[in-house]
This record gives sequence, C-alpha cells and structure tokens, in this order.
Amino acid sequence: MQQAVAPSDRTLHPSAGHVLPPPNVVDDNVIRSALAVHLGRKFGGEVVIDGFARKSSGFSWITYSFVARSSSAPDRKLILRVGPPNGLFAPYSVLPQVHALQSMAGKTVPVPDLVSFDQDGAEIGFPFFICEHVKGEVPAPWASSSLDEDHRRDIARQFIAILGELHKVDWSKTPLASSGRAGEARGEIGAIAAWRCSLARPTARYYPLLDWGGRWLEENCPSPPRRAVVHGDYRIGNFLEHARKITAILDWELTHLGDPHEDLAWALMPTFNAGSRKFYGVVEREEVIELYQTVSGIPISAKSLAFYEAFALYQAAAIQMCAVRAFEVDRFNDMRMAVMGSQMASIVRAFDRALEAAA
Amino acid sequence: MTKSFDLVVDGVIDALRAHVLPNSNDDFVRGQVFSIIFALNGLKLAADWKAGPLLEQVRLQDAAFSEVRRLSAGMDHPPIPATPRAETGLADPERLEALRDGGDRRLGELLLWAASASTQAAQPIAANEIERTLRSFIRDQLKVEIGMTPKSMLHQIATGDER
Repeated sequence: MQQAVAPSDRTLHPSAGHVLPPPNVVDDNVIRSALAVHLGRKFGGEVVIDGFARKSSGFSWITYSFVARSSSAPDRKLILRVGPPNGLFAPYSVLPQVHALQSMAGKTVPVPDLVSFDQDGAEIGFPFFICEHVKGEVPAPWASSSLDEDHRRDIARQFIAILGELHKVDWSKTPLASSGRAGEARGEIGAIAAWRCSLARPTARYYPLLDWGGRWLEENCPSPPRRAVVHGDYRIGNFLEHARKITAILDWELTHLGDPHEDLAWALMPTFNAGSRKFYGVVEREEVIELYQTVSGIPISAKSLAFYEAFALYQAAAIQMCAVRAFEVDRFNDMRMAVMGSQMASIVRAFDRALEAAA
Repeated sequence: MTKSFDLVVDGVIDALRAHVLPNSNDDFVRGQVFSIIFALNGLKLAADWKAGPLLEQVRLQDAAFSEVRRLSAGMDHPPIPATPRAETGLADPERLEALRDGGDRRLGELLLWAASASTQAAQPIAANEIERTLRSFIRDQLKVEIGMTPKSMLHQIATGDER
C-alpha cells in the first residue's frame, strides 16, 4: 500500500537569502547534494546518496538512479526525475506525473510508488519527483528487438491489456480530477488546440499542410466513447519488463483526460514498432483491437482510430518542431534537437496520407 | 550563406565544445575534435546549401500559384504572388531559401482560405479543386525535401547504441 505523499514542505523565503535564481544547466553534483538535504529532511535524519547516476539522456525529463542510505532505515533504491529548464517541453510541471502515479497506486495499472515531489523547484533548482526503483528493462522502440517472437507477444498482449485497464479507471475519484481540463466537456479538442498553438510559435520553417491539417483535426474531432485517463505517450519503450512481465508503466508527463482511441493510435504507430505495422512487430492490429475491447469494454471505432492515427502524426510533427525551436530559437546546444527536425518532410507527408484516410 | 546553414554549423561546433571536449581526456581524441571544429569553420566560409533543390521547390510553388490564380478567377482570395518569383539564373541559396519559406506561407494562406467554410459554401467546386491542387503541389515539394533527407538514425540518436 502506498503511503500518502505530500509535496516538499520547503517554501521559498527570498528574504532569507538562501534561494538562488534557477540555473540553466542541470549540474549532477549540485543535484546530488541538494537531494541528500531534501531526503534527510523527508526521512528525518542524515541521508547519504550512493550510486548516483544518470539513467538515460532523454529528450525531456532527466532520470537518475541512486540508493538512499540512512542509519535509521534500510537502504532504498530510488529514481529521481528532473524537469530541465531547456528540455523539449520546458517549462515543466511535475503535477501530471504525480497525479497519475497517485491515481494509479493500488490499481491494476503497475506504476512505481511515489516518494516525494517538488513542483516549484525550490529544493534542487528544478521541478522534480522521486519514486521507488522498479526492477526491469526498457525495450527500445526504434530498432528490431532481439527478444524472440513468443516473448514479444507475451509482453505486447500484457501492454494492451494494461491499456484497457487504464481506460477503465474512474478518474473522477482520483487526483486527476483536479487537472486543468477535467471540467471541459470536450477536453480532447482543447488538447488539439494546444498542439496547434505550439506549432504556431515562430520558427524559420512553416509547413502549410500542418497548418491546414491542424485546423481540420480541431474541426472534425470525434466524440469519445468515454472520457478516459489518456497516458499520452503509451508505446513500446515506456514500460519496464522483467522475467516476461511488465513491472511498471513509465513516463506519464503527457497524461490527460481524453479519448481512449488516442493512446491506441499512438501505440500502433510504426515508428514505435521498429517500422512495423504489427504491434511490437508481432501482433496484428485486429488482434490488438479485439484484446483491447475485451479488457476495456470500450468499442473501438475505425473512423475514430483513423482520426487519432492522423493526430498521432500531427503530434509527432509538433514534437519535432519543438526540437527545431529549441535548437534554432532557444539556441539549445544539443545536436539531437537539430537533427530531429530533419525528418519533418517525411512526417508531414505521412500526416497528409493519414488525413486522407481519416476524412 | 543562408541563416539555416550557419545555424547548423554553429550548432555542431557548440555541441562539440560543450558536450564532447569536456568529456574527452585523450589528447588524440581532443586533437580530432579540434580538427573537426577547424574544418567546420572552413565550411562556414566556403560552403552553403545546394541551390538546385531549393530552386526546384520555388518552381513548384510558382506552378501552384499560377494554377490557383487560374482556378480562383473572379473569387475574393488572399494575395497570389506574381510568377516567376526568381529571376533567371538566380543561384544564391540565401535568396532562394527566403523565397521558398515565404512561398510556403502564401501557400498556407491559400490552402486555409480554400478549405474555409465560407469559401466552400460560396464556390464548392472551385474551392475543392484549389484545395486538391495545392495539396498536390505541396506533396511534390515535400518529395524534393525527402530526397535530400538521410535515413533516420532515431534509435542511435535516442539511445547512443550503434545497433
């Protein structure tokens, strides 16, 4: 059973003179020192941070693993996630992820237990949260897997069944009910509008098909079969598996309330399945849909799925343009951002084709 | 030199200085990195984007403008640039890039206008034909760009794994 977690109780006291302006670069040594202070206060005693290491150099949140050692309690293997000031979706809020982890705790969707979080960044200079370490490996979505087909089928079917469980959750009784769009009758249209705003920010290149297609999506958004908790980035690569079992669903930063078709369409994108039309390269789409419907009880509409497959490509294009903007406008010196934008023409063409299928 | 070419070269140099040099303690490796920076600075002075593909995109846009002008005769439409926009023999990538980017914005205005409810209601057949024509030319323009795009290395870029 997960314990109730409160945000950090440390508040900003500018007059006390010990709160510095937020830095622009995430310094691992500074983070580690501040983390020890934070956990010492949280756990009530001195805490030593051991084995502190970046888990990945992702495009967005920075992930660290470490062991918290104290004299009064057993060692705890934990995960720290930090929202950097110049990441793809900066400025960051921890609240979608915190609310999602809190809402899913104790339910049939496996998530890491939340330990602590700080939304305003006063503790270590950036928004962050800490959760328990969960055993498992993250499969890579972009390259062919070395796992055998039976293994991948097992994992793929578990992953789809968990999605069905996620969409069954009654969010009205969870912290997600306090999210910004919970009260909106057509929140999914608001989500499309938000991506349109993101794409409308000035960059050197302008893609007429994206501008026109974004308006088409907003004007033709289907009514959802039910409003569900949408993960927002539900795909191969965003879960842990151990011994042929999914142990945790990760990366809840884009969680929102919306149409369940959105997650299904995103998961089926060939980009996240090593270029295959089959889910995880092994499960046919029809089988995915049948399994999902059986678990969730939500009927899948071919028209809505086609719409959200087009929307998935639109989002992919918008994310690439965030990277272009980070490089060109914000002058973020990460070449991965620059080269992400080089695939824009292919994505826009795929989006145009998907719109034709959805129309 | 075009602004975007300049940005890419500067970005590569900045990334090498910020991320690679501080993590390279091997003198030979550092020498390689400084050599690459030197070569890139040379490219900044001597190289630029190829003019050919940019010119081809500008010509496709011009063809789209001419066709839309014909189809929209008598309709109240956004401005359509006079064509050809590039004078004969223009090969300056900076000017061609500016024409291409400006042309994309004009095409977008025309596409949004053709697909708008008011245009569709007033002249549905012409509006649909203009929309179809514009999308077709824009797709052809994308093909030119796709032809210059290297194969995706997303897996390697995201994971650092050569596989």
